[in-house]
Amino acid sequence: MTPPDDASAVPDGPRPSPDDLVDGVPLEELVDYLDRGREPRDPRIEGSPACRLALQALQRVSELTLESLQHEADRDPGRDDRWISGLMGTIAREVVDGRAVPLAAPAPGVGTALTKAAVRGLLRRAGDAVDGVLVTATELVGDVTVPEAPVTVRLAVTVRYGVPLADLADALRVAVTAALARHTELNVVAVDVTIADVVPPAEEPGGAR
Amino acid sequence: MVARTGPVRRDGETDREDEISTDDLLSATSDATLAARAADGDTRSFELLARRHGPLMRVVAGRLLASDADADDVVQDAFLTAWHRLADLDDPARLRSWLLRIVSNKSIDRLRSRREHDDVDEARQAATTPAPDDVVEARLQLDAVWRAVDRLPLQQRRCWLLRETAGWSYAEIAEALDLTPSTVRGQLARARRFLLVEMEGWR
Repeated sequence: MTPPDDASAVPDGPRPSPDDLVDGVPLEELVDYLDRGREPRDPRIEGSPACRLALQALQRVSELTLESLQHEADRDPGRDDRWISGLMGTIAREVVDGRAVPLAAPAPGVGTALTKAAVRGLLRRAGDAVDGVLVTATELVGDVTVPEAPVTVRLAVTVRYGVPLADLADALRVAVTAALARHTELNVVAVDVTIADVVPPAEEPGGAR
Repeated sequence: MVARTGPVRRDGETDREDEISTDDLLSATSDATLAARAADGDTRSFELLARRHGPLMRVVAGRLLASDADADDVVQDAFLTAWHRLADLDDPARLRSWLLRIVSNKSIDRLRSRREHDDVDEARQAATTPAPDDVVEARLQLDAVWRAVDRLPLQQRRCWLLRETAGWSYAEIAEALDLTPSTVRGQLARARRFLLVEMEGWR
């Protein structure tokens, strides 16, 4: 197969004309029909093999457009390093969630506080450290700005397939409670664990694309 | 107080190992999970999303702007916006379409701010490198599609990409590019016709 590579033939035409009919149906109408997800079903179109072929071609040309851009994007894996590191540098300099969580003052009159973002980071790290677990989302329920106020920690986690869930939830509770006890003054009354997702044991990069 | 037992990390010591096994798990993880983590403030998850989807976004911006240099700026800006607005993403499984939307918006903003220089871009040649002889047919086909899209006149290409990759409506494209909706319709029809004819040669 030889790809067309004659770049000099810049297409200003062919012009679309009223002759763009497929079995008596204007191509434009087929495009609109496809855009509507072929609903409601049009028997005139669905009953014509030529129209169905044209619909298939239209769909294919759309898919190929995106595929070809993705293909081009994958051509040079190192190409994006520079802007991504610029992006991550900018993000690192930003404060995500500045709400303060008080810590016991080391001496009267000296205030110390962790941001809520820092506590969430702590929860993620503690949870991630449990083998086969990835923390998906964290939530602190309760008034974290008042010392001694009861706080419930909610964790949503992704787990590797095959890990016993009961053991895992216990390990998570221990890990999270310990981490918070060590680094904060929060009065944790409960740790709720939700399994949000299960991923295959083997490495399968890509996920949902 | 709970005893520090079991799998709890001792400060510093197991750091390296944990990072590696977590990264493994992270890269096997779905967009939805990474997006949820990123919305929760996890920059590592967001960086993985940027690595997963950024290259496509950069290419789309590059084709809309007809400039690879501007594309880097725009895509970086778009991902920063995405980071700030992650909480607005109601269906994390539709992350890619959401990102395409942001990137195309940013590209159009950039285009508006430099509209007067457009005609210079029009003469620009395809930036693609020819495929080596021994690549598989599927690659050749995608290369051919890429070249065909690249050969579309700029206006047609913009209309086509906004419609096909980012799902813009005719009215939205018309407003963004300062055209009438019927012109947009015409441009799309031409682009489609050209690509359909080209596609005959790809099969």
